[in-house]
Amino acid sequence: MSISTEAGAPAGRAWKSKEEFLGCVILTDWILLFILFLVLLGSYHIHYMLLAGDWDFWIDFKDRRMWPTVAPIVAMCFAAAAQSFFWTRFRLPFGATVVVLALLVGEWINRYDNFWGWTFFPISLVFPSALIPMAFWLDVVLLLSGSWLVTALVGSMGWGLLFYPSNWPVLAQYHQAAEIDGVLLTLADLIGFNYVRTGTPEYIRMIERGTLRTFGKDVVPVAAFFSAFISMLVYFLWWKFGQWFARTDYVKQEDI
Amino acid sequence: MQLSIGNMIAGISGARLARAATLALAAVGAAASLSAATPASAHGERSQQAFLRMRTLNWYDVKWSKTEVNVNDEMAITGKVHVFSGWPQAVAKPEEAFLNVCEPGPVLIRKSSFVSGIPAPRTFSMEVGKDYEYKIVLKARRQGRYHVHVQINVKDGGPIVGPGQWITIKGDMSNFVNDVQLLDGTTIDLEHYGIAWTMIYHFIWMAAAAVWVIYWFMQKGIIARGWQVAAGKGKDIITPADKRFGGIWLAGSLLALLFFYAQANREFPRTLPMQAGLLKGISPIDDELPLVTSRYLGGTYKVPGRDLTIKLRITNHGSEPLRVGEFTTAGLRFLNPDVFKTRPEYPEYLLADRGLSVSDPTPIAPGETRDLTVDVQDARFDIERLSDLAYDTDSQFGGLLFLFGEQSGKREKLEVGGPVIPRFQAGASL
Repeated sequence: MSISTEAGAPAGRAWKSKEEFLGCVILTDWILLFILFLVLLGSYHIHYMLLAGDWDFWIDFKDRRMWPTVAPIVAMCFAAAAQSFFWTRFRLPFGATVVVLALLVGEWINRYDNFWGWTFFPISLVFPSALIPMAFWLDVVLLLSGSWLVTALVGSMGWGLLFYPSNWPVLAQYHQAAEIDGVLLTLADLIGFNYVRTGTPEYIRMIERGTLRTFGKDVVPVAAFFSAFISMLVYFLWWKFGQWFARTDYVKQEDI
Repeated sequence: MQLSIGNMIAGISGARLARAATLALAAVGAAASLSAATPASAHGERSQQAFLRMRTLNWYDVKWSKTEVNVNDEMAITGKVHVFSGWPQAVAKPEEAFLNVCEPGPVLIRKSSFVSGIPAPRTFSMEVGKDYEYKIVLKARRQGRYHVHVQINVKDGGPIVGPGQWITIKGDMSNFVNDVQLLDGTTIDLEHYGIAWTMIYHFIWMAAAAVWVIYWFMQKGIIARGWQVAAGKGKDIITPADKRFGGIWLAGSLLALLFFYAQANREFPRTLPMQAGLLKGISPIDDELPLVTSRYLGGTYKVPGRDLTIKLRITNHGSEPLRVGEFTTAGLRFLNPDVFKTRPEYPEYLLADRGLSVSDPTPIAPGETRDLTVDVQDARFDIERLSDLAYDTDSQFGGLLFLFGEQSGKREKLEVGGPVIPRFQAGASL
């Protein structure tokens, strides 16, 4: 067995031709994108499951107050950090979208394989929150403004406000009502009741608990604005986290 | 550079060979254990602390209407639960509780549940010292053989598992239907309802996201952009055309979202917020005035062992003689064979049909007060780890003693419990 360098690059050069060089760059780009996607998928998935947890797992936790408050805030962390990395290092306006897409790919694999495939919970009980329209908003605001400050203010506001409307097209069907043994339940409640979860008793659901009740039935806008404001703060913080994680440090030779 | 396979093999040192062999062995071991793996069939109920199982909820009269059903068949778990008066201080009281089923995933779905005849799909309150009747209607969904328990979850106390029974479900889950009638009168199959649209909606957006990412990636990739930014030409990368594309993309996305939103509102004009809240005022079972009372005089249990000895002073206030017939705790039933002539239907692993004896087997006459020693003796006491009380910080036992009228057979319930002293057997260690 031999490894030959015959017909290789000319002495002093790593590449035979410009085409070969570009081919290697493109191949490396694809490998890089694939690896980044998997890394983001894994890390964001763990982060989001730990912080959003039951609110994202179960349909009967997706209420009008706690879910649209908590989910966008904790989802913002990685979106801001990914934007920071992809924008400042590469001027790529897809940081939020790529990271949210990675999360959703991971979530769907998890929900389909684990929740349905292993334990037979119907998908209607366990589908994840939709986040893509919010990610588009965040990315395009950064693309158009070119400013992380504007994105933190305008982008985060849209991120929080778009969350519930992005999910309503799926959620609406499960908010139809039924009378079960004389008790009024939405289909979302009923799915949670029918499909037994031994470790998830009804009392751990936090359905519209809280004190902000001034706006009557308009619970969602209050929650969405609050979520948007907190998302702004989270954006600032996690943009800086993203920068910190993406920096390159060099160590002086004598320190090694 | 010349490399030969022979040289490569020769180059592998003994240590590397050992590492490779270890890895191969581990892989073979893992593969072998995978083939031997069987589905989990228990829910860890024995691992709950003994005092918790004995002194929180005392389950009795538990019945499973069927133990063999076909997919789509309904069955019911019924019974009563006594909330023990000496509820342990370490566990939150059942002011917020939920009637649940302990099963390996939703192999049976819960169609309805009732506490004291009141529908209880939500959280409810229980009073310490009281008894409640419950009923859970289940519908078979997935074929197989499963251990199904009744369970009550207590907020800040955790799940308290009741007795379990093996249920065999025949048929095929693909035939399962879960029909539900909506308020507008239409009937839907909740098993499949809305799932296709949920997936389509999500995958449309995910496909759009993939297009967005690939579009920008295909422009100049990642590395070339990085070089450009590093060279200080970052501002030149994004062109006005790029911004125009981004604006159009966002506008299209928002329009699509608006369309989906409006469509949902048009299709489902009458939607309600989710329903939740504590069901208060569920009445306990009306207890008649007790015809029998008792005073606990002390008790011991053997470690390791299968023996609990309880000393009681029992007074019969009724009009007919009474005999001690049964002691139940943690779902286990210890029966006095002098009283139970036939074996009741109950899971074998929880029923000790000769597990109870009394120091004086003659009936307690009306008006009589008698000191009795009740001996609970069966391997199940140890198998179900009730002798593990010795490991608990609160060494008190609890349970229900049932006495039966000599003529009428009428049952009288006595709550018994208190501190017990372990008696260590030869060679015992904790």
